[in-house]
Amino acid sequence: MSALGKILRKPIEFVSGEYGMAAVLLLLCILFSVLTIEEKSPEGTKAGNKLTDDIVKLIEQDSVNFPKEIRVFIAAGKGKSGEDFVDSLGKGLDSKGINVIGKAVGDTLRIKKAIQATGEIDLIATTSLMRNFPVFDSFLGEEREVIRASSMVVNDTLIKGEKTTLIAPRTYLWPIFLTPVNLRNITSQIAVIAILAIGMTMVIITAGIDLSVGSMIALSAVVATSIIEKMGGAAEAGTSVFLIASLAGVLVCTLSGAFTGIMVSQFSIPPFIATLAMMQVLRGIAFKIANNETISDVPANFQWLGNGLSYGIPNCVILMIILYTLAHIMMNKTQLGRYIYAIGANAEASRMSGISPKKIKLIVYAICGATAGLGGIVMASQLQSGAGNYGVTYELMVIAAVVVGGTSLFGGKGKVLGTLIGAFIIAVITNGMNLLLLGSETQMIVLGLVILVAILIERLRSGEWRNAVGG
Amino acid sequence: MKRFIRQLFIFLFTIALIGCGKQADNGKGAQGDGSKKKSRGLIGATCMNIANPFFKVIEENMRDEAAKHGYDLIYLGCEMDISKQQKQIQDFLAKGVVAVAVNPKDSKAIGTSVKECNNANVPVFSFDVRVQAPDAKVVSHVGTDNFQGGELAGEAMIKALGEAGGKVVVIDFRAAESCIERVKGFKKVIDAYNAERESGKIEIAAELSGEGLRDKGFKAAEDALQQVPDMRGIFAINDPSGLGAVGALEKAGKLEQVTVIAFDGMPAGKQAIKDGKIYADPVQHPDKIGRECIRAIVSHLSGEEVPANVNIPASLYTKETADKDTSLN
Repeated sequence: MSALGKILRKPIEFVSGEYGMAAVLLLLCILFSVLTIEEKSPEGTKAGNKLTDDIVKLIEQDSVNFPKEIRVFIAAGKGKSGEDFVDSLGKGLDSKGINVIGKAVGDTLRIKKAIQATGEIDLIATTSLMRNFPVFDSFLGEEREVIRASSMVVNDTLIKGEKTTLIAPRTYLWPIFLTPVNLRNITSQIAVIAILAIGMTMVIITAGIDLSVGSMIALSAVVATSIIEKMGGAAEAGTSVFLIASLAGVLVCTLSGAFTGIMVSQFSIPPFIATLAMMQVLRGIAFKIANNETISDVPANFQWLGNGLSYGIPNCVILMIILYTLAHIMMNKTQLGRYIYAIGANAEASRMSGISPKKIKLIVYAICGATAGLGGIVMASQLQSGAGNYGVTYELMVIAAVVVGGTSLFGGKGKVLGTLIGAFIIAVITNGMNLLLLGSETQMIVLGLVILVAILIERLRSGEWRNAVGG
Repeated sequence: MKRFIRQLFIFLFTIALIGCGKQADNGKGAQGDGSKKKSRGLIGATCMNIANPFFKVIEENMRDEAAKHGYDLIYLGCEMDISKQQKQIQDFLAKGVVAVAVNPKDSKAIGTSVKECNNANVPVFSFDVRVQAPDAKVVSHVGTDNFQGGELAGEAMIKALGEAGGKVVVIDFRAAESCIERVKGFKKVIDAYNAERESGKIEIAAELSGEGLRDKGFKAAEDALQQVPDMRGIFAINDPSGLGAVGALEKAGKLEQVTVIAFDGMPAGKQAIKDGKIYADPVQHPDKIGRECIRAIVSHLSGEEVPANVNIPASLYTKETADKDTSLN
């Protein structure tokens, strides 16, 4: 063994060890954090206070160009953050005796009109995000000079025009990947796939597969939204209607799953074929119920599950966590869970020892239908509508999440929590690539390769590959 | 030892992959270097399907126009998955774009995403397909003027039928707003033409649904031949249904008798025009749609009033145009 080998051995063993996938997820998070470090703008009151200090300093340091009598105009985009910025900056400058001759909060059209109506302005104070907007061009004139007095301003935040100068709060560097908004996005974006992956994990542990889950998303979404439409629609439907509609959606998918289960267990149709057929049937039914249209006569309140927050956490993520907890307990602490592993490892042996593989399979496919139905409800809620084309090819993403999470396609092995990690790996990569501005084509290639690598690592860990090639 | 080599292979593969990601990022940085100094911000655009050449042309022109005004652009396709489009818009907002341009996969279901942008005070612009959701605010829509395109089709029909006039059949698609507009424009021109004359009027004898599809267009034209055996013209609201109608006429041996006018100017449609099977197509101009969309965004950010609808006129593609078109054989 070479010296290089000894050095590399540790990291290789770590990545391919028991917590390999968690390590990969962590590495990806670190990677994207580093790659997405960018200028970030301070917002709201904080930005207003920072800029107050900067303007005061500017007047102290350069009293020739910026005497104490300068006329300041404050502008910001609409919304709470903009209002807070204008308020805090206005108050701050007032307290220092600096002349604020006008303020505007709103879109660019409004700001332009307000500035034009104000008359002569020496200094326009605005937010970092807006500092390069062309709306200010005509006021700064052609001859603009970006000042970078190192003691005072970084990142082009003081732009000196012919008569008027523009100033904005200093920006700072921060990984966009790690902003609360983005972390929330990642979790809520993966919720649907992660929820579906619970049922899929169980199916795959029994050495089966379910290709119909993508169609079940559509079916459940369409059933639920059409019931809401019939029971009051956007104008009248309330929480009780939502509950009934959602339960109906989940129930229909559970029954569909059970039906598939019967096909697979009683009639011994290979799961791949049975569910491929169901995939067609269920999507067709979904299109029929929706009459080939998008059902959108749904109240905005219906978004609560998909887009709402509780204590800052998306509701669909809370649902996801609850479902994973239940599934983890079921798989590890209950008889059913042990049976599922048993028939996956060796159906014949488990039959001999008194377990009924047929019954277990039926239950597992029904659970898979139920989780797919729930995922469909979440998607309908996120989009506030239902249509027959929801969830096309989602079955592949779900299977990828399960396999990346370490579940063996040959059955008998796998962990529900591993699947959660697998789903997050996929979500983090997709989100990270969007943040890095990679085009759609590149994204497809990278995502495919990452899934391949993850599976290679998993193979290595489990030793199946080694056994297969006789190494 | 063998095992170690395999492990090493995987390890290096992983490293290489991570490296690829980094390199792609660097590439983007280098590209933007020229405008980096005065980049005015990032515009996020998402279309329904990047594989469709129509949207690829829009992308190229958007990119060009955005660079001209000093903006960076990210342009993604959602591969006909509305949920994916929603995620892309969420990521745009996290990234801090100055404006969102959206070509909705689903006019209604995109509503929640547009509202999210509204709440974040990021202006939304739509291109090609409108947003049709209550309370979802879009600054401006840039798309083909379908009504005017329909008028072009009507004028072409008048020219083709000449003094004799005769019966024509419309193969429509009522589920799409754009197609309804096309038929309205067509009828307006035909009605105005008829009002001026006593004889040789053009009569719209039947309106059948072709659902915008080739097989349905075929069937609609077959039905029309039963109902109106002496028809002289067919206006189909897009190329697939127009090509379907051509198929039905060929089968019945009536292609000589009936003038077909379609819409869009897809490659197959253009070829049919060159072969003399379709008389003419009003064609859309994705290049202009892309450019005007960016111009609308820049105007808005400059504090100018932007019209709620930016209509891009269609133009007529005839056999003469096709004969000069080098993309056809």
